[in-house]
Amino acid sequence: MIFSDTYAIFWREMKRYRKSKSGVIIRLIQPAVWILVMGNIFAGTQPLIESVGFDGEYIEFMAPGVIILTAIFTSIFGGVNTLWDRRYGFMNKALTSPISRSSIALGKMLAISMIAAFQASLILGIALAIGVSMPHLWMIGPIMAIVILFSIGFSGISVMLAAAAKSQETFWGVINFLGMPLFLLSPALFPLALMPDWLASIAAFNPVTYTVVLVREMMSGFVEGWSAILSVSVLVVFSLAMLGLASYVFTRDVNKPF
Amino acid sequence: MSSIEINSLTKSFGDFNAVDDITLKIESGEIFGFLGPNGAGKSTTMMILTTLLKPTSGNALVQGYDVQSQGKKVRENIGFVQQDISVDEYLTGRENLILQARISRIPKSEVSSRIDEVLELVELKERQNQASITYSGGMRKRLDIASGLLHRPKVLFLDEPTVGLDIQTRRKIWEYIRKIHKEFGMTIFLSTHYMEEADKLCDRIGIIDHGKIQAIDKPSTMKNALGDDRISFTLVDGIDNRDSLIKKIEEIDFVKEIKLKEDEITVFSSQSTDVIPKIFQISNDMEMKINTISLTQPTLDDVFISYTGHNLRDDTGKKFSRRKEFNLNRRRGF
Repeated sequence: MIFSDTYAIFWREMKRYRKSKSGVIIRLIQPAVWILVMGNIFAGTQPLIESVGFDGEYIEFMAPGVIILTAIFTSIFGGVNTLWDRRYGFMNKALTSPISRSSIALGKMLAISMIAAFQASLILGIALAIGVSMPHLWMIGPIMAIVILFSIGFSGISVMLAAAAKSQETFWGVINFLGMPLFLLSPALFPLALMPDWLASIAAFNPVTYTVVLVREMMSGFVEGWSAILSVSVLVVFSLAMLGLASYVFTRDVNKPF
Repeated sequence: MSSIEINSLTKSFGDFNAVDDITLKIESGEIFGFLGPNGAGKSTTMMILTTLLKPTSGNALVQGYDVQSQGKKVRENIGFVQQDISVDEYLTGRENLILQARISRIPKSEVSSRIDEVLELVELKERQNQASITYSGGMRKRLDIASGLLHRPKVLFLDEPTVGLDIQTRRKIWEYIRKIHKEFGMTIFLSTHYMEEADKLCDRIGIIDHGKIQAIDKPSTMKNALGDDRISFTLVDGIDNRDSLIKKIEEIDFVKEIKLKEDEITVFSSQSTDVIPKIFQISNDMEMKINTISLTQPTLDDVFISYTGHNLRDDTGKKFSRRKEFNLNRRRGF
C-alpha cells in the first residue's frame, strides 16, 4: 500500500513539474550564473587549487560544487508546494483520503529529488559544454544516484519545514538561513585545506562537504575507496535521518491551521 | 445504525469553544444540513468528522467508526468536498480524477469507468482533457464534487458547496447534489449559510450558532412551527406604549408569538387576514400610528431568527457591515 500511495503523490508532483516549463528554466538560472560567472571570475585561483593536489582548471574544480548547489536549492525550495497544498486544499483532500500520511511526505520527497537530479544533470550538461572534462562519461549515472540520495535529505528538511511552518515567512526565513551557509561551508568553491581551521571543522559536519568531495572525485575519475565509502555512509545516514524526521513531523503537524 | 453519531462534541481553541457540546444523530441516506452564520462552528464540526481535527472532548462515529481512534476506517468511508476549491490547476480535469482515484485506492481496473461515470454526472466530459486552470469557478466546483464521489463514499461531506457561485451555477450544483443522492443514496452532510440551499436540499436541518445546535428538524416542520404568516410593522413614534400594545396584540386569536427587533414588531400568526385589521384597531384605540406594515409567508430566515434571536448574517461587533452584506446578498438574490 505504501508504495502505491507514495507513487500517487509522486505522480502528481512530477506531472506538475512537467507542466511548468518555466520552472525548469528558473531553477537553472542561478546555478548557470554561478558556473559561467563565478567560474571565470575565480579562474585565477587555479594555483591555489593545484597546491592542494587538484589537477585541472578552476571551473573543473567548481563544477561538482555547482551541481550540488543545484541539488541543494532545488530540493530545499522544493517543499514550497506543501505550503500551497496546505493553503489551497489539496492537503486536506489527501489527508481525508485513506492513504497514509507519511506516504504523502515520502512521495513529495522522492519527486523533489528526481527533479533535483534532472536539474543537476542539465547543469552537468552545461559544464561539459563549456569544456569541463570528464574522463568517464558513464559516471553520470552514479553521480545522479548520489544527487538523488543527497536531495532526499534536503527535500526532507524542506517538506518538514513546510509542514510545520506557521506562516510562509517562517518557511522562507529558515530556508534562506540554511541554504547558502551550507553551500559555502563546504569545499564546493574552495578547498577545505585552505580554509581557516575552525571553518574547516564546521564543514566536516556538513553533509554537503562529503557529497561535493565524492562527486568531484567521480567527475575527475579518481575515486578513493575509503573516502567514497565514508561519503556514501554519511549521505545514507543523513538522508535516512531526514526521511524519518520529515515523515514524523509531517504526520504530526501538517493539518495544523495556517 | 446511524450513519453519523455525535456525542457531546466540543472543540476549544484557547478558551473559545468553536463547537460547544453538540449531540446529533444522522441516519443512513439522509441529507442533513448544518445551517448557521460564518464562525458558527460548522466547518470545525466537519473537520472533526473528516478526521482533520481532534475534538477537545466528546466523540463522534462515522459509519460506526470512531473519528479519533479509527481515523483510517473513517477516511475509507467518506468523501469530503471542501469549501475552498481544491482542484489541482496544473492537471487536466481527468488527471485530477486519476489522482483522486489513486489516493482513494480505487482498484486499477475500475478507475477509467468510474471517472467516465462521474464526468458524465457533472457534465464535464467535453472539457476533461483541458487543464483545469481554464475552468470556470462552477466547473471547478463540479470537478471537486466529482472527486468526492469517485470512490462511492457512504458519507459525503459538502462544506458550503455553493459559496461564491452565481445563482444559476448554484441551482445547477443543487441539481447535481440531488442527482448523485438519487443515484448512490449515500448520507450527505452539508453545511451552508444559505437558507434557500438548506430548504431545497435537506431532509433535516440543524441550526447552529455560537458552536451550539439551536434546533433540529425538517425545514417544513420548522416553518410550520412558526405559524403560517408573519406580520411586521413599525410605529410612527410613541415607543412609550409599545409594551402595552404588544400585550394587547398577544391576546388576539391566532397570534402565536411576537418578536421585537430594533423598531420592528413582528407578529407570528395564522389567519393573518383577520389579525391585521385587529392590530390596526388596537393601535388606533391606543392612539399609536402604524408607519409601515408588511405580511410575509415564513421562510427559514424567520426560523433562524426565531431560534437564535438574530439574523443569519448579523454578527455582534460587526453588526453594521454584516447587515449591509446581508442586504447586498438579498438584492443579488441569494
